[in-house]
Amino acid sequence: MSHQFYSIECIIPPHIQNNIAEKGTPEQRKKVMGSISQSAAIRAQRVLLTETKALVEPVTVGGKQRNIFNLNFGSNLPGILARSEGAPPTGDPAVDEAYEGAGATYDLYQQEYQRESIDGKGMRLDSTVHYMKGYDNAFWNGRQMVYGDGDEDLPEPQRIFNRFTIALDIIGHELTHGVTQFEAGLVYRDQSGALNESFSDVFGSLVKQRQRNQTAAEADWIIGEGLLSPNINGIGIRSMKAPGTAYNDPLLGKDPQPAHMSDYKTIDYDNGGVHINSGIPNHAFYATAMEMGGYAWQKAGQIWYVTLRDRLTSTSVFADAAQQTYLVAGNLFGGGSLEQQAVRAGWQAVGIQIDAGDSGGNGGGTGGDTGSGGGTTSPGCSTALVQLLDNVKALIENRSR
Amino acid sequence: MKISYRRTGGFAGMLISHSFDTDTLPKTDAEELVKLVSAADFFALPSKITATGADQFQYTLTVETAEQQHTLEVGETSAPENLRPLLEKLRLLARGKPDL
Ligand SMILES: [Zn+2]
Repeated sequence: MSHQFYSIECIIPPHIQNNIAEKGTPEQRKKVMGSISQSAAIRAQRVLLTETKALVEPVTVGGKQRNIFNLNFGSNLPGILARSEGAPPTGDPAVDEAYEGAGATYDLYQQEYQRESIDGKGMRLDSTVHYMKGYDNAFWNGRQMVYGDGDEDLPEPQRIFNRFTIALDIIGHELTHGVTQFEAGLVYRDQSGALNESFSDVFGSLVKQRQRNQTAAEADWIIGEGLLSPNINGIGIRSMKAPGTAYNDPLLGKDPQPAHMSDYKTIDYDNGGVHINSGIPNHAFYATAMEMGGYAWQKAGQIWYVTLRDRLTSTSVFADAAQQTYLVAGNLFGGGSLEQQAVRAGWQAVGIQIDAGDSGGNGGGTGGDTGSGGGTTSPGCSTALVQLLDNVKALIENRSR
Repeated sequence: MKISYRRTGGFAGMLISHSFDTDTLPKTDAEELVKLVSAADFFALPSKITATGADQFQYTLTVETAEQQHTLEVGETSAPENLRPLLEKLRLLARGKPDL
């Protein structure tokens, strides 16, 4: 492999840690170990953040440029080029699904939100399929998408997972992790991590809904449909419509996702349950889109996209996402508009109340003036300026559409 | 030799943990694990090697022999190349098994 990024903790080899642990009084030992692990954790976090930016040297090409690599069950990314932009289908379902899925995701971002690829500057979309043997996962490594084939090496009656390219929303999900990395940069832990996961599910699902031409009411809102083999009792990995109901099986257990803040889970694995608590913002998006009606990628998707691009930061939590989607809805559709009310109702459905004192509108409806905003977020001069700029931006965007 | 294996994260976010003992495993698996632990130079590895990106598996391995014990937390793509065959072997051995 060409790149290895060790965190700062790797610099303290285990035998040195052992030496420290063996010497001194228990109090000293505890103190030394505590300070080492604490500072190491802080530094590791910082390294992780800067790495994420530094790791990506995007290949900028402009337009839609897809490369699909085949690893033939090995692990040294990216593998051998199997299909490049404009090439005909290969007949290998994983290669062709990765190609088509990346295309459908690119099209959603480009045609609906005027975004040029993952970085907004035409970054080439690289994907690798047939990653390792019996590999039941898909991931984003900071610069490309990677897909395993599930349990391809087992006889069919023993299989749990099918290949991970089988569901279009998984491809949209992975690619969106790239978008988030270049925009809000949501730290992949606890609530910011669950938001990161949720944005991936939201736009993954929207890619699928758009391809099927389904309204919010017609869509199934299932993430990973078709990924589980017929041996498993489940329709997919997650349900945005009804979090916690996607699967229930003796082998896999039960879908652990909550749909409401009152069921938020404190979890010591999965980076604090980023794939679990994402059920809450997932359901808020679903409820918002249902409230609005029509195609979810149009209004609700636009609001979520602008929020991800312009409003959230690496440490944003659920309440920030709620407040900011509400303000963006006000900017795009007017303060007090039906769209803005739908956003408020959507978050309310999962137990997150939005301070409606500041509706962030651009003159229309009630409370459009940010200066009159009450509550805890009384906007200062800079906030008002940002708001003004947002309003201008929204106006320009509306014109160009 | 005892190995405890825990895998978290991944697109599906499922937790899988399992313990292996070379005294009770089938002989071929036991021999292969001993070989792979040695090939990975496991006891010389650091205690944590983090990876960036999203949906990557994170593995926590503890290997215990009569002489030594070491725990390593490692992300999918940050694993050194000579450790990967051990991770793959454990991943395949733990697949479809109830947590132990
Ligand atoms: Zn993800």
